Amino acid sequence: MSIVVKNVSKHFGKFAAVDDVSLEVPNGALVALLGPSGSGKTTLLRIIAGLEVADSGTVLHHDEDVTEYSPRERKVGFVFQHYALFRHMTIADNIGYGLRVRGVKKPERAARVNELLKLIRLENFGSRYPSQLSGGQRQRVALARALAAKPAVLLLDEPFGALDAKVRTELRQWLRRLHEEIHVTSVFVTHDQEEAFEVADRVVVMNHGKVEQVGTPEEVFEHPANAFVMDFLGNVNVFDGKLEGGKPVITPSSAPPPPDGAHGVAQAEIYVRPHELTIEHRRNGEAAIEARVVHVNPTGSRTKVELRAVALDKTILAELTAERSAELALKAGDTVFVSARRAHVFAPSYSI
Amino acid sequence: MQPKRVASANGGAVRRAQDDPAWVRYGLTAVALVAVGVLVVIPVVNVFAGALSEGAGVYWKNLVADPDTRSAIVLTLTVVPIALVANVVFGVTAAWAVARFSFPGRTLLVAFIDLPFSVSPVVAGLMFVLIFGLQGYFGPFLRRDGYAVMPWLVGGAVALAAVVAYFVLRPSNPRARRGFWKTPAWLVALGGAALFALLVWAQMALEVWPRHQSLKIIFATPGLVLATSFVTFPFVARELIPVMEAVGPDEELAALSLGASGWQMFWHVTVPNVKWGLVYGIILCNARAMGEFGAVYVVSGHIAGQTDTMPLRIEKLFQEYNLPGSFAVASVLTLVAIITLFAKSKLEQHLPTASSDGGTES
Repeated sequence: MSIVVKNVSKHFGKFAAVDDVSLEVPNGALVALLGPSGSGKTTLLRIIAGLEVADSGTVLHHDEDVTEYSPRERKVGFVFQHYALFRHMTIADNIGYGLRVRGVKKPERAARVNELLKLIRLENFGSRYPSQLSGGQRQRVALARALAAKPAVLLLDEPFGALDAKVRTELRQWLRRLHEEIHVTSVFVTHDQEEAFEVADRVVVMNHGKVEQVGTPEEVFEHPANAFVMDFLGNVNVFDGKLEGGKPVITPSSAPPPPDGAHGVAQAEIYVRPHELTIEHRRNGEAAIEARVVHVNPTGSRTKVELRAVALDKTILAELTAERSAELALKAGDTVFVSARRAHVFAPSYSI
Repeated sequence: MQPKRVASANGGAVRRAQDDPAWVRYGLTAVALVAVGVLVVIPVVNVFAGALSEGAGVYWKNLVADPDTRSAIVLTLTVVPIALVANVVFGVTAAWAVARFSFPGRTLLVAFIDLPFSVSPVVAGLMFVLIFGLQGYFGPFLRRDGYAVMPWLVGGAVALAAVVAYFVLRPSNPRARRGFWKTPAWLVALGGAALFALLVWAQMALEVWPRHQSLKIIFATPGLVLATSFVTFPFVARELIPVMEAVGPDEELAALSLGASGWQMFWHVTVPNVKWGLVYGIILCNARAMGEFGAVYVVSGHIAGQTDTMPLRIEKLFQEYNLPGSFAVASVLTLVAIITLFAKSKLEQHLPTASSDGGTES
């Protein structure tokens, strides 16, 4: 294991930023810490880096207890959201800084800097200053600077957060390829599930300072451990309903709750992803919900449909493939019948 | 008729400042120019005209030949650098504390930094006279055997510096401290006290300084340094706090994450990032310290050739109807002011603003 975090907690005043978190990152993995803002993901990353001190718990890097080590002794590379390049140093000096403070001689340093400039494809930019570079270039320099001293662990705090959408997509793919090339154990923080799924091998979903679920992107998306994970990873329709003999049944929210004693009937919240809904012009089967089309938004490969279910007093979002959309030829005002091909059911204790 | 009226009403609504009548524009410009001319340009030119009214030779003689004027220049050149160094050390420390940490009393500290701006310099001078003057609290003692405080003063300063250095240099992460750095705070304080006692005892035993000798603060150079430092106290800190806040702690954290020690971080990252703000503060501080009159007037006692600084000397020469002499000294101060002005406007383009993301390159 490259990074092991055991029962780490961190409080700011009374607020528990990280609450008894344990985590393992295997050698050479690329892991995403994913969660909404305030979920403690950045604090956890800083604790791993040694920039923040945990109140309790231990951190191990490569089976060595580094809890009491300073960042200098931990040999980590850290990439900040807003680059944090040294504005008064040239790009080459920026990249070489980690080597300079570790006492590496100048010729050796220059060789390593050139190697890294080539890696980030900015060979001719060595003598420029950070302010002369674009956002994407600056973030690549920040990455090279973090990698210069050959860190055992690379940590990235929302590395693409400050970039515009197009550059962000390019850099994601670039980071993915870079990781395949150099295979340094990496952890990056993001609040964007698309980014986490695209870049990472494993995703750690965090909320309120706790880890909600750990798994491959497919695992957490297809088999969310709880309602929070389901809700956080993409759009979802939430219906009030009940479980009758293990089968979810959607009921209007105004319907009386089932009596506690009723056998095999339990109140539940039913979660359905927009693409798991089927839309028909005619009712087929009892479970279908009658709804009125409010808005149709063809976005290319997928058509997004906003529906209004009058009986449930609820707005439903559905996604259709382009072919299915052409077949149905929906327009605003149509009355349709919606049913779920697949549903996740969680106990209604969860609230956002 | 109807559409035309509508159009003119619209035209009125979107009228811009440039469309003001010509007499308003020219009138305002003229008022501004006349004010600057009468209040600034003419007096400044007049200083040089007055200084050179009897020729360059007399001008030079007025500056150099008079021993009292010479001593005033030397005294100003002694007092100002000492006050500057004191204020730079204080300003950097205070700005660092205010910009990087939140601690109880932070707002109060910021308010107190500004205090010398709002206190009249004469009052500031009087404060020092009340404390250190002959009739002041420490006056009689300092006059009788003032040097007896030196071991306490020096010993205290050394011990305090050692304790502060310990807390600054040890790893900030309490769980990253090992060995010597694990010493609990009370033991460090005890060590500081022991060092202090040792220094005091050494002085008592060895008599490095003669004990029974008067230490003059008021009507002497130490008083001038105190008064000047007090009045120019806010300049460096005031300039540095916004610069440090604009630069933010990210680069410093980056340096730490790359393996820099706290000391390396300070010299490689913090100082270069705030250096223009620092230079700017020093220039303003220097200009004010050179020209300070009120506070210095009260504590100096006006002893010609001993405690007269340049502004005081100008006043004395003026009172003695030696106008060319007074203008000659004044011209030196004015020249310093003009150089300051140029340096200031040159530096302003280097100062970072909160909005500039990448900052300025040097």
